[in-house]
Amino acid sequence: MKQHIAEKQRQTGRLKCSGTVLATLLATTTAGYAQEALEVWSRSGPQAAATYEAVFEAFTEKTGIPVEYLTALQFDTQLQARVAARDLPDVLIYDQSSMAAYANAGWILPIDPTSLAGHDEVSDVSWDSVRMADGSTYGVPFSQHAQITFVRKDWRENLGFDVPTTHEELIALATAFATGDPDGNGVDGDTYGMAVPGTTNRGFFAWWMFSYLAQQGAHYVEGGDGKYEVTINNPEGVAAVEWLYDAFCGDPNLAQPGAMTNASATPFFAEGQAGIYQTGPYAITSFTDKIGAENLEIIIAPAGSAGSTTLTERTSIYFGSTTTMPEAQKALAEFLISEEGQTLGMTAPGQPVVRLPVNVNLNAAEIYGDERFVTVAEQLEMSELMPSDIDFTAARLEIAETFQTLFSQCNDDVVEQLDVLAGLIADELDAVNALK
Amino acid sequence: MAAGIRMSFQEVSPFLGNQWVGWENYATVLTNSRFHQAVSNTLVLGVGQSFGAVLVGFILALLLEGPSRSLWFVRTAVFLPVVTASAVVGEIWRIIYFPSPDGFMNKVLGLVGIDPIRYLEDTSVALYAVMTVGIWSSAPYYMVIFLAGLAGVDRTLYEAAAIDGARLRHRIVSITIPALRPAIMIVSILAAVRALRIFTDVWVLTGGGPAGSTQVWMTQIYTQGFERNNLGVASAASILLLIASVLLTVVAIYFTRNKEDR
Amino acid sequence: MSTPALRKKRRQTSVEGTLDTAFGWAVGDTRSMLVRAVLCAILLFIFAGPILTIIVGAFDLNPDPTALTLWPHNPSLENFRVATGRGIWGYFANSLFIAGFGLTLQIAVAVTAGYALARRKFYGQTVVLGVFLATMMLPEEVVAVPLAVVLGDLPLLGISIRGTVFAIILPVAASAFSILVMAAFMRDIPEEIIEAARIDGASEFRILVQVILPMCLPALGVVAIFGFNGIWDQYLLPLVAANRTEDYTITVILRSLRADVEVGTGALLAGAFLALIPSLIVYLLLQKSLVRGMTSGAIKG
Repeated sequence: MKQHIAEKQRQTGRLKCSGTVLATLLATTTAGYAQEALEVWSRSGPQAAATYEAVFEAFTEKTGIPVEYLTALQFDTQLQARVAARDLPDVLIYDQSSMAAYANAGWILPIDPTSLAGHDEVSDVSWDSVRMADGSTYGVPFSQHAQITFVRKDWRENLGFDVPTTHEELIALATAFATGDPDGNGVDGDTYGMAVPGTTNRGFFAWWMFSYLAQQGAHYVEGGDGKYEVTINNPEGVAAVEWLYDAFCGDPNLAQPGAMTNASATPFFAEGQAGIYQTGPYAITSFTDKIGAENLEIIIAPAGSAGSTTLTERTSIYFGSTTTMPEAQKALAEFLISEEGQTLGMTAPGQPVVRLPVNVNLNAAEIYGDERFVTVAEQLEMSELMPSDIDFTAARLEIAETFQTLFSQCNDDVVEQLDVLAGLIADELDAVNALK
Repeated sequence: MAAGIRMSFQEVSPFLGNQWVGWENYATVLTNSRFHQAVSNTLVLGVGQSFGAVLVGFILALLLEGPSRSLWFVRTAVFLPVVTASAVVGEIWRIIYFPSPDGFMNKVLGLVGIDPIRYLEDTSVALYAVMTVGIWSSAPYYMVIFLAGLAGVDRTLYEAAAIDGARLRHRIVSITIPALRPAIMIVSILAAVRALRIFTDVWVLTGGGPAGSTQVWMTQIYTQGFERNNLGVASAASILLLIASVLLTVVAIYFTRNKEDR
Repeated sequence: MSTPALRKKRRQTSVEGTLDTAFGWAVGDTRSMLVRAVLCAILLFIFAGPILTIIVGAFDLNPDPTALTLWPHNPSLENFRVATGRGIWGYFANSLFIAGFGLTLQIAVAVTAGYALARRKFYGQTVVLGVFLATMMLPEEVVAVPLAVVLGDLPLLGISIRGTVFAIILPVAASAFSILVMAAFMRDIPEEIIEAARIDGASEFRILVQVILPMCLPALGVVAIFGFNGIWDQYLLPLVAANRTEDYTITVILRSLRADVEVGTGALLAGAFLALIPSLIVYLLLQKSLVRGMTSGAIKG
C-alpha cells in the first residue's frame, strides 16, 4: 500500500497545484524527486511488456530520464480517456495504422526526422511509411515485419505432404489437416486446417485477409498520396473473396471453430488444434516454447496468381501533443532507433518488440541467432502496407465486419456483399477526404 | 452528466475544438442501421432475459422453499452465480460453450442427441446463448426475493385450499401468485432496468459479434465512442439510454405507488 | 414435476407437511423427497457445477477447454506458478485493497444517505429519487470518459488522483443500490425508538450509530455482499485510471491472460479462481443476512 501512496505523491508532485494547503504539503514531501518521469504507453501482452521494461531501464540508465511505463491493454479506450482529460502520455508506441487518425485529431506532434540523431540509420522505406498524405512526418519507425505463415511441420510430414508453395497446395494441406489425423491420436477430423483470427476488434480480420487477397491481385483500395479508389469489388476482388469463401463456408470448413468471433485464434495453433496460421513473427517465441522448434516451420506465403505478398505491419513511436518534455521524447526515440535500443528490443528477455530492425546496420538473423529470421526478412521484401497516410480506421472496421458477416452466415451473396462494402469504404474514405 | 449532454450536441475533438452540430448526433443514432439492429437485439435480449430470469427464479423458489438444512445448502450453492464476478462468469461460459463437438455443453447436449452447436459464432444462436448466461447469473437473485415473498404467504390459505381439494396448479395460480404480486413487480422492474444496460455479459462473451448479431445498445455506444472515436454520437446514444431508463423507472414507481394506494 | 401420482401420494400421507410450502412438498414422503432430491441435484449441477469446474481446472495441470471435469486429473499448483510469473498476486492485492477500502466508504455513504432518505420527507422526493437512481444506474462504460477527466484534475483541489487507488475508490463510494437498501430497511424501524432516544438527549449521530445501525445488520450484510461484488467487478474504471502497468486490478489482467498464449487455459483458470474466491468468501460469511436484508426493503420498494 505504501507504494500506492508514494505513487500518489509522485503524481501530485508533477502537477501544477500551488494553491492548496494539501498541495504544498505533498510538494514538500516530493521535493527530493528531482526528475519527472516520461510517460510511455505501448499495447503489449505481459511478455512483450517485460521486454519494453528492460529497454526503458537501459534508457534510464543511459540518460537519467526515468520512464513511467503502461501496457495499455485497451489502447484506444485508455487513450480516449486521456484525450478527454487533455493529458496524453508523452510517448506512444503503437501500430503504424493509427498514426493518421491520431495526427488528424491533433493528439500527436509532427516530427522533423533530420533533427533526430541517428535518423540516417533508419531505412528510407521506414521513413516513407510514417509520412502523411501532405508530406509531413508524425512518427518514428521502430519495428517492422510482414505476416508470415506458420505450419506444423510434424503434422505435414505425418500426412506425407510437401511444403505448400501455391494456393492449391495450401488448401490441399489444410483440408488434409481438417479431415485426417495429423496429430496421430487415432481420431480423424478432430484437428482444424487453419487458425483464422476473424475478430472485428480493431478491424483485425481486415489485416489478416489483406495478405490472401493481395496474393491474388486484389486490394481493398488502390492509389497513393492520400487519394484512393475502392477496388474490392472488381473481378480480382470477387475472385479472391470467393476463394476464401469456399475455404470458410465449404465442407470441410478449414477454419477452427470460433474463427468468426472475437476469440483469439492463437491458442488453437499453440495448443495443437490447428495446423496452419498466418500471423506476425512476434508469435515465434511462444510457438517455439509451446510446440517445439522441431515441429514448427515458417514458410514464405504460398503463392496465389499474383505472388506471395503478405501484409506489412509496422510499429512506430509517436509524441503526445500535451507533453512538457520534448527533449526527453526525442532522447527516447533516438535511443529506440539506435543499434543498442533496437538490439535490446529484439533480445531482452520476454518477447521481441522489435521484430525486424528498422536500423539498417543490424541483421536480424544474426542478432537472433536464428535462421528462421532469414525467411521473415525475405517475406518482408514481398509485403505491402495498408494505406497509412490516411485515416483508414473506420474503413478497416467496416471491412472486418462485412467479412465476418459474410463468412459466419455463409449465405452465398459474395458479389452483392462486396458491392455494399465498396460503398461503405467509399463513404469512409470520402469522410476523410481520401476518395480519388 | 452535464458534460455528457453538451457532448451529445458536438463533434467532439478536444484538441481541435469541439464543433457544435446540433441534433446531428441524434440523427446519426436514430438513422444508423447498426443502432437499429442494436435496438432490436436489446429488446429481444432484454425481454427474453428478464422474463426467463423471473420465471426461472420463481420456479427455483418453489422448488427450494422449505426450512430443512439440506435445502439451505442447495439455496446457498444455487446463489453462487450472482456473487461471481462477471469477468469470471464470462470465462466460465466461454469454456462451457467451447464450440467443438467435445466442448462441455455440446457433450452434455450430445447425451440427449442434439448435434454440436457453435453457440457464440452462429448468428442465429449467439443472442440466445448470451441470454442463457444472463438468466443463469440473475435468476438466483430473483429466487431470493421470491423466497421471502413465499415465506410471507398466509399458511391458512393453503389449508383452506387443501380442504377444498384444490389442485396444485390451482393453488399456485390463485393463492401463491397473487400473494407474490409485489415481489413479482419489483423483480420485473429490476430485471427490465438491468436488461436495458446489459453490456458486460455481451462484451465478454461475443464483443457484439458475430456479424453484429449480439450487438446491443451499450456495446454499440462503446464501439462508437472508443473504437470509432465518435464521442459525440456515443454521448447522444447514452442520453437516449438515460431517458429510457428514467422513463422506465418513473413508470415503475408510478405503478407501485398506485398499487399501494389501492 | 406435479405428476398425479405425486399428488395422490401427498394426500394419502401427512396433509400437515404439505401446507408449509407453496409447492406442497410433503415432508417424510419418500417418493416426494426423492423427486425433490433429484431436482436439487440437477439445480446444483446447473448453477454450482460451472463454478466448481473453474476451481477444479485451476488446480489441474494442463486443463483443456474440451475436457472440463468436476475432478482434477493431474492435481498441481503449476497453474498458480505460471500465474505468479505474470505478477497475478500484485494485481490481486490491488483488487483486495480497492474493494476493502471502497466497500468501507460505500457502506458509510449508504448508511448516512439512506438515513437521510428514510427519515426526512421532502416534496418531490419520488422524482428526485427516480432521477438520482437513473443517473447512478448509468453503466460505468458511459461515465468512464467524463470520470477520467475528473480524476485527472479534481475540482477545487486541482490535483490528479489518477494512477492511485483513490481514483477507483472514490467513484464507487456512492452506490444507488446500497443507499436504496439501507433506506428501505431504515424506513421499517419504528419512529418511537428514535423518538425515545432523542428524548434521552442523544445526538443525531449517536442515534444513527448506536440505535439504528445495530437494527440494520441484515441490510449491511446485503450491502456488503453486493457492494464488494460491484467494486470487485469493475473493469473500465481501473483500466482508464491506471498510470502504470502495476496499477491494474485482477479483473483487468484476467482479460489479458486470455489472450496470452504462453500461459494457456490453466493459468487463466488460476486467475479466474483468484478473482472468484474473495467474493465467495464474503458471500459465505454474510449469506445468513441475505434473505432478510435483501427482501424486507426491496419488496416494499
